Amino acid sequence: MSEYTVVGQTVARVDAVEKVTGAAQYGADVHPPGMLYGKLVRSKHAHANIRSIDTSEAEKLPGVRAIITQDDVPSGRRVFATDKVLYLGEPIAAVAATDPDIAEEAAELIKIDYEVLPVVQDVMEAIKPSAPRLHGDDTKDGPNRREISGEIRTLSRDKENDHSDAISNLEAELENYPDEVYYNISAESHTEAGDVEKGFAESDVVVEDTYVIPRVHQTYMEPHVSVASADSSGKITVWASTQGPFAIRSGIAGTLGIPLTQINVIGTTMGGGFGGRFGVIITHVPAVLLSQKTGRPVRVQMTREEEFTDGRPAPGCVIKLKTGATNDGRILAREALAFWDSGSVSGASIGSTIRVRGVYKIPNLKVDAYGVHTNKSGTAAYRAPGAPQAIFAGESQLDEIAERIGMDPVEFRLMNMREEGDEVPAGGSEPKVGYKETLEAVADAAGWWDREADENQGWGVAVGDWTNGCGPGGVYVSVHEDGSARIFHGSMDITGTDTAISQIIAEILTVPYESVTIRRGDTDSAPYSTGSGGSVVTFTMGNTAKLAAEDAHRRILELASERLNMNVDNLELRDGEVHVTSADPPKSISLGELAAYSLSTTGGPIVGKGSFARQASTPALAAQIAKVEVDPGTGRTRVLKLVASQDVGFAINPMAVEGQIEGGTVQGYAWAMMEEMQYDENGNVNPGFVDYRVPTSADLPTVESVIVEVPAPNGPYGAKGVGEPPITPTLATMANAVKDAIGIRISELPIKPEKVVNALKGNGHEA
Amino acid sequence: MAKLPVSLTINGDEHDLLIEPRKTLLAVLRDTIGLTGTKEGCSTGDCGACTVIVDGKAVTSCMVLGITASGKEITTIEGLAGDGELHPVQQAFIETGGYQCGFCTPGFIMASKALIDENPDRTEEEFRHALGGNICRCTGYTKILEAVLKAAEEIRTTT
Repeated sequence: MSEYTVVGQTVARVDAVEKVTGAAQYGADVHPPGMLYGKLVRSKHAHANIRSIDTSEAEKLPGVRAIITQDDVPSGRRVFATDKVLYLGEPIAAVAATDPDIAEEAAELIKIDYEVLPVVQDVMEAIKPSAPRLHGDDTKDGPNRREISGEIRTLSRDKENDHSDAISNLEAELENYPDEVYYNISAESHTEAGDVEKGFAESDVVVEDTYVIPRVHQTYMEPHVSVASADSSGKITVWASTQGPFAIRSGIAGTLGIPLTQINVIGTTMGGGFGGRFGVIITHVPAVLLSQKTGRPVRVQMTREEEFTDGRPAPGCVIKLKTGATNDGRILAREALAFWDSGSVSGASIGSTIRVRGVYKIPNLKVDAYGVHTNKSGTAAYRAPGAPQAIFAGESQLDEIAERIGMDPVEFRLMNMREEGDEVPAGGSEPKVGYKETLEAVADAAGWWDREADENQGWGVAVGDWTNGCGPGGVYVSVHEDGSARIFHGSMDITGTDTAISQIIAEILTVPYESVTIRRGDTDSAPYSTGSGGSVVTFTMGNTAKLAAEDAHRRILELASERLNMNVDNLELRDGEVHVTSADPPKSISLGELAAYSLSTTGGPIVGKGSFARQASTPALAAQIAKVEVDPGTGRTRVLKLVASQDVGFAINPMAVEGQIEGGTVQGYAWAMMEEMQYDENGNVNPGFVDYRVPTSADLPTVESVIVEVPAPNGPYGAKGVGEPPITPTLATMANAVKDAIGIRISELPIKPEKVVNALKGNGHEA
Repeated sequence: MAKLPVSLTINGDEHDLLIEPRKTLLAVLRDTIGLTGTKEGCSTGDCGACTVIVDGKAVTSCMVLGITASGKEITTIEGLAGDGELHPVQQAFIETGGYQCGFCTPGFIMASKALIDENPDRTEEEFRHALGGNICRCTGYTKILEAVLKAAEEIRTTT
């Protein structure tokens, strides 16, 4: 029996009715009077110089109200390409017209003269000296050269002594690594703990492999959209489908040089985000510019095809990974060299390469990561950004080690998992975590210990870790004279967070969940709130809501004390009433009566305020087991069972938590088995759902979710962020299951049927 | 572009409209009538977010020209609840948590309603395949299938 009455219970979400009746207002549902339709004019080449832009024909089309290019950006900040385009679909101009079809026609009429340039799409080609350069001639040294160059620099700085011999020796050593001068590098990240060379030398088994993970699209169902309206005073209102209205406000202000006070961002109901809905320039800035130019509201809405060519998907990457272990199952060393495809700009989550360390005691670790430019759009976050890629490599290789030393994959993981107080490689000390409990829970639920497999069937296991973020937030709660509570805040609901906030406030005010309502304000009215990404919302806003409700609770007791003429120490709030403890006969006053009374007091109405920004978070683990059957003739893999456990700290709304686990796991499944953005010298070649297949209900069985609760010390009621962890292990879970079924390790995703057939053929199988 | 006269019955209301031949039924519903509950997810008939019921059949309204729907009975998500009560399919989606962001939900609910009306006795596996034209990116489909089976059961036992 739970000690709580509202939190920890499954409740219908606060937005339930509007979501099932079509009443919820998403970005494209906003239609102010006089609205124009915007359309971006996009590059038709993946790499080209722009010789000229001719808008004259388009201007003549009836219904066209404005055409803008970079010349119309007064701040000079890059919104549109001017002299050069770096990927297919890069915006060059924008049109506003009275009808969406006219806007599209006008965009087609704008003539752009290109000088086509050589294209590079593969990261391993892009780092070579022969590759076309996207941004000048910047190069970086690889891990070996980097170390030697570092030593040379140190010695050169010592002017007291003569190091010329040592320096020439080192310079000669540099010549040993001619391939380690990397081109088109956008960023780099390096981490080291212990001595990997020593660790490998002491290992009985060393496995080395290269893992290739494709670029995939978040594929939120609502394409990017923005409606902007600039009034004659210069005030700009933007209805934005975004995870972070306050970030969009500052982004527009910074890009266009407009004061914050002149911009109001109204977050519309969000049709999925998964990390991909923070972009400022994609639609919001063009909509603002078009509205400023026309004096009318303008909607800029992307098509699905535009999402694929000019969205900001998750980066693909190539990870070279090496792991050493002893025959008795201790992991001694791990070394990674990763190249992340960041597209035409920097920003790929290369720092996440560190997640190859997993949740294991690895005394020696070395991680070198590079972001590489290619002729693709830039990238953004996608549900635990960077973790699924790195964990795919780490967890795939772990199974290879387990196989070599003859250990069960679950036992091998349990044996190496960190516990409270263990050293995290290059990361301090482990807090109290539930790694082992979570893995054991999934193994038990899936029937791992007595698993059976027919011919062509296999079982795979993997785990993935992630720690929720934290950020600033503010919440107000008011208690009204009918005893109901009203919540006001500024954070975007990310599939159930408004419900969790409402549950927390109902719990503390001891009122039924149904008598709490919640409203999100715009950036002009609401207290500042962090963006809804990084699994922050329940952790951050949950803590904020708790503070607000506790503040209201204090005022409630104060009022009751006044009203009943009793010391607050003798008062207790329960079941929506303040009771006098140990009063005989019982004496109480309802919240409604207190709220009504408060209106004529010096202290005033019951308004609780919560404000919160930082507390340390606790890592969460997702552990998954899949049973698959591979058809050796067609190469098709069928999932027979998919079980996912997750340490969520405390499930505030268990049904919503299960939904996160199920949804994240299926996204991970899709990355492993189906999804891949494909590119050639012309750019993206599969910009639609026919060629970029995402799973439907026909592709999968029921995902079984298992909730594990190891409370986080600073989470509200112990809750951890639940949104991101479930996608992290699935790529490896699937690859490990396929390996178990066919005996061949596929280290390049996705595991499409043709890849399986080719792998079997290469292994002497007859199709 | 020259407009043509069209007569549509939408959620029981008759609409006499002049529309351009190039406008899809989806565009007519959303932009002309203002019924924005029906969503545009891909405009190529692949995601099912724009599913409405035309003369009893679920169709992707982005694949139908408005002028070809003249004289037909169209039901959208806004027309499903009646007399202040949610339709059993809507109720089931709430109770099982069969939606998250909600963008695909109107399409899923309309597709599910048409399937259940046609044959409420489908197995889970049959519903999984029959709903293969609708994409949801949030739920992983587990709770959507729970909702559809629950609604089918409800409709089977009450009719």
